[in-house]
Amino acid sequence: MNNIKIKSKNLNVYYGEKQALYDVNLDLNEKEVTALIGPSGCGKSTFIRCINRMNDVIDICKVTGNIEMDGIEINDKDLDVVSLRERVGMVFQKPNPFPKSIYDNVSYGPKIHGKGESKNELDEIVEHSLKKAALWEEVKDRLEEPGTSLSGGQQQRLCIARAISVNPEVILMDEPCSALDPIATAKIEELIDELKKTYTIVIVTHSMAQAVRVSQKTGFFHLGKLIEVGKTEKIFKNPDNKMTQDYITGRFG
Amino acid sequence: MNFVLIFLITIFSLSLFFYGRSKTKSISIEKNIKLKALPKFYGYYLVLWCSIPALVFLLVWSLFEPIIIKTIIIETAANQGAIFDDKNEANLIYEKIKAIHLGTYFGDIDSILKESALSYAKFINLFTNSKVVLIFGIIISSVIYALNKIKNNNKARDDVERILKGLLFVSSLIAILTTLGIIFSLLFESIKFFSVINVFDYLFGTNWSPQRAFVRDASSITAEEYEDLKDAFGFIPLIAGTSFIAFIAMLVAVPVGLFSGIYMAEYASSKVRKFSKPIIEILAGIPTVVYGFFAALTVGPFFRQFGESLGLTVSSESALAAGLIMGIMIIPYVSSLSDDVINSVPQSLRDGSYAVGATKSETIKQVVIPAALPGIIGSVLLAVSRAIGETMIVVMAAGLAANLTINPLESTTTITTQIVMILVGDQEFDSPKTQSAFALGLTLFIATLILNYIAQRAVKKYREKYD
Repeated sequence: MNNIKIKSKNLNVYYGEKQALYDVNLDLNEKEVTALIGPSGCGKSTFIRCINRMNDVIDICKVTGNIEMDGIEINDKDLDVVSLRERVGMVFQKPNPFPKSIYDNVSYGPKIHGKGESKNELDEIVEHSLKKAALWEEVKDRLEEPGTSLSGGQQQRLCIARAISVNPEVILMDEPCSALDPIATAKIEELIDELKKTYTIVIVTHSMAQAVRVSQKTGFFHLGKLIEVGKTEKIFKNPDNKMTQDYITGRFG
Repeated sequence: MNFVLIFLITIFSLSLFFYGRSKTKSISIEKNIKLKALPKFYGYYLVLWCSIPALVFLLVWSLFEPIIIKTIIIETAANQGAIFDDKNEANLIYEKIKAIHLGTYFGDIDSILKESALSYAKFINLFTNSKVVLIFGIIISSVIYALNKIKNNNKARDDVERILKGLLFVSSLIAILTTLGIIFSLLFESIKFFSVINVFDYLFGTNWSPQRAFVRDASSITAEEYEDLKDAFGFIPLIAGTSFIAFIAMLVAVPVGLFSGIYMAEYASSKVRKFSKPIIEILAGIPTVVYGFFAALTVGPFFRQFGESLGLTVSSESALAAGLIMGIMIIPYVSSLSDDVINSVPQSLRDGSYAVGATKSETIKQVVIPAALPGIIGSVLLAVSRAIGETMIVVMAAGLAANLTINPLESTTTITTQIVMILVGDQEFDSPKTQSAFALGLTLFIATLILNYIAQRAVKKYREKYD
C-alpha cells in the first residue's frame, strides 16, 4: 500500500446557486493511477479541477471544505497557485497545443518557472519530457514545426509532455482519450502505465474498460456525490453499492 | 402621377396575395387535390407577377420618356423655323418651352415658342395617358397569366424561388456595376492626366503646387510649358504627409486600442464590458467633422501655446494635432476588432497555459496574443486604411501646405485633403489641375485596396486555424 498523496475532506463545490460536489472524501495514493468514473455532469472533472485550483478561472465557482496534498491545504486563499500548478500538471479532454513550435510548446512551462537558464538545459528538459511522453522518436527531427501540425494522438502526447516538462508530482487527466481513435488511445494508456512509476495520476474517464486497464483504484461519482471508492478490481467485480453495480453493467449512465 | 401608380400597384399586389392564398385553399378543398406548394406561395406568386412587370415597365418608361419628348419637340420647333447652331442652344430652347408650359417663363414669347409649348403639353398628356393604359394592360395580362397557372396547380414554390433568386442577382449586379463604373471613371480621367504629365514626374516629384499649373490649351503643351508643369504635380510630399499623419494616428490608436481590447476581452467582468464597450464604440459614431472642430479649435491651439511656452515654434495647424485626433477616432476600430479576435481564441488554450502554472498576464502575452496575432494585424491594417482615407480632420487641423517635413509641429497635407482642395469651387474639366485629383484618387484607391487585401488575408488565415 502506497502513501496517501492527496486527501480531500468534506469537499463541496458550488457553481453560483448550483451545488456540483457534496462532501467528497477521497484519498489518492502516491504513484498509483486513480480512475474517476460516473455519468456526465456528476462532478468528476470538477473534483480534479479542485486539485490544481483550475476552478479559480471560473468566476462563479466557490469551493468549501479541505483538500490536502502532502499535508498542505490546497484550498487556502494564501496558497501560491503558480507553485501548486508546477507540482500538479493537467491534461485536457481535447488536445490543446499552443500555436507555437513543438519545442516551444514543451519549453513553455520551464521558462515560466525560470528553469533551464541556458539553451542546453532547456534542450535537455524538452528531450526528456518528449521521451517520457513517448513522442521523441516521432518528432525529434521536426521540433520547429507547429504543434498543431501533429495528429490528434501526437498532440495529446505533446500536451502530456508539456505537463511533464515542469516536473510535477501529480498529473490530472480529464478524459484524455475521448477525442482520440483506438490506436492513439492504446498508446496513451501504455504511456500512463509507464508514467505511474514516477507520478501520481488521476484520470477521469467514460470508458469502464479504460478504467480497468489503467487504474489501481476507482471512484464512482453520481450527481455530485462520491458513491463508492475502492480497488479497481473490487469495484468492477464485486461493488458494495447497488448503484455502482448498475452503472458498470451499463444499466444507466 | 408615378407615385400614384406605384401606390396603386402595391395595393393591388398586396390584395392579390390574400386572394391567391384563399383561392388556392378553396380549390384544393373543392377538387380534393393536394397542392404542390403551401397556399402562401401562390399568394407570393401572384404578388410578384402583378408587381414586377408593371414596375419594370414604369421604370423603363420614365427613363426614356423625357428623351423622346425632347427629341420630338426640338425637331418640330426646327421644322417651324426655330434657329439654333448647336446642341446647347437647342437645349436652351427646350428649357424655355418647358418653362412656358409650367408658367414660369417671363421672357418674350414668339409664335414658334408658343406653338411648341402647346405641342409639348399635348405630348405630355398623350404620353401620360398611354403610360397609364399600358401599365394597366400589363398588370391585367400578367395577372391573368398567373391566375391561370395557379388554377393548374403549378409548382409555385419553385417559381417563387426562381424569381427571388433573380431579384437578388440583379441587386448584386447593380452593386458590382457601380463599383466598376467608379473605377473606370477614375481610370479614364487619370489616363488623361498621365497623358499630359509623365507618370514618373508625378510619382517621384517632390513639389506639389497644382495652383501654379495654368495651361492655355491642354491639348497642345509646349516643351517649355511642360518644364513648368512637371514640377507642380509631385506626389512625394502628399504621400509623405499622408503616411506621417497616419503614422502618428497609429501611434495613438494601436496601443490604446489594443490594450483596451485586451482589457475588455480578458479582464473586464461581463457587467463592465456590457456598458463600456458601447461607450467606446460611440467614438466611432462621432462625425469626423466634429473631431475636426475639436482638433482645430482645442487641440491645435493648445499645442501651439504649450510649444510656445517651451520656446518652440508650433504652427496652429499641425500634423501632431491632426494625427492625435485621428488616432482617437480610430481607437474603437482597433479595440473592438481585437476584442472580438481575442475572444475567439479558444478557452482551452488559456486553460493549457494556466495548468502549467502561468499567470494571467503571462498567458495573455505568450499564448493568447500570439494566437490572435493574425487577426490583430488585420484589424490594425483596416485601421490604417481608415486613417489614410480620412479627410475632414486633416482639412481642418493639419493645413493645406504641401510641406515635405518630418517635424510634427509643422503643417502638412494629405492626398484626400488635396483632392478636396482641387475640386472645391469652379473647375475647368480639361485642365491637368482638375485631372490630377483623379490621379490622386486612383493612387489612394490602389493603396487602400492593397492594404485591405493584406488585412483580409491575415484575418482569413486566422479563421482557418481555429474554426
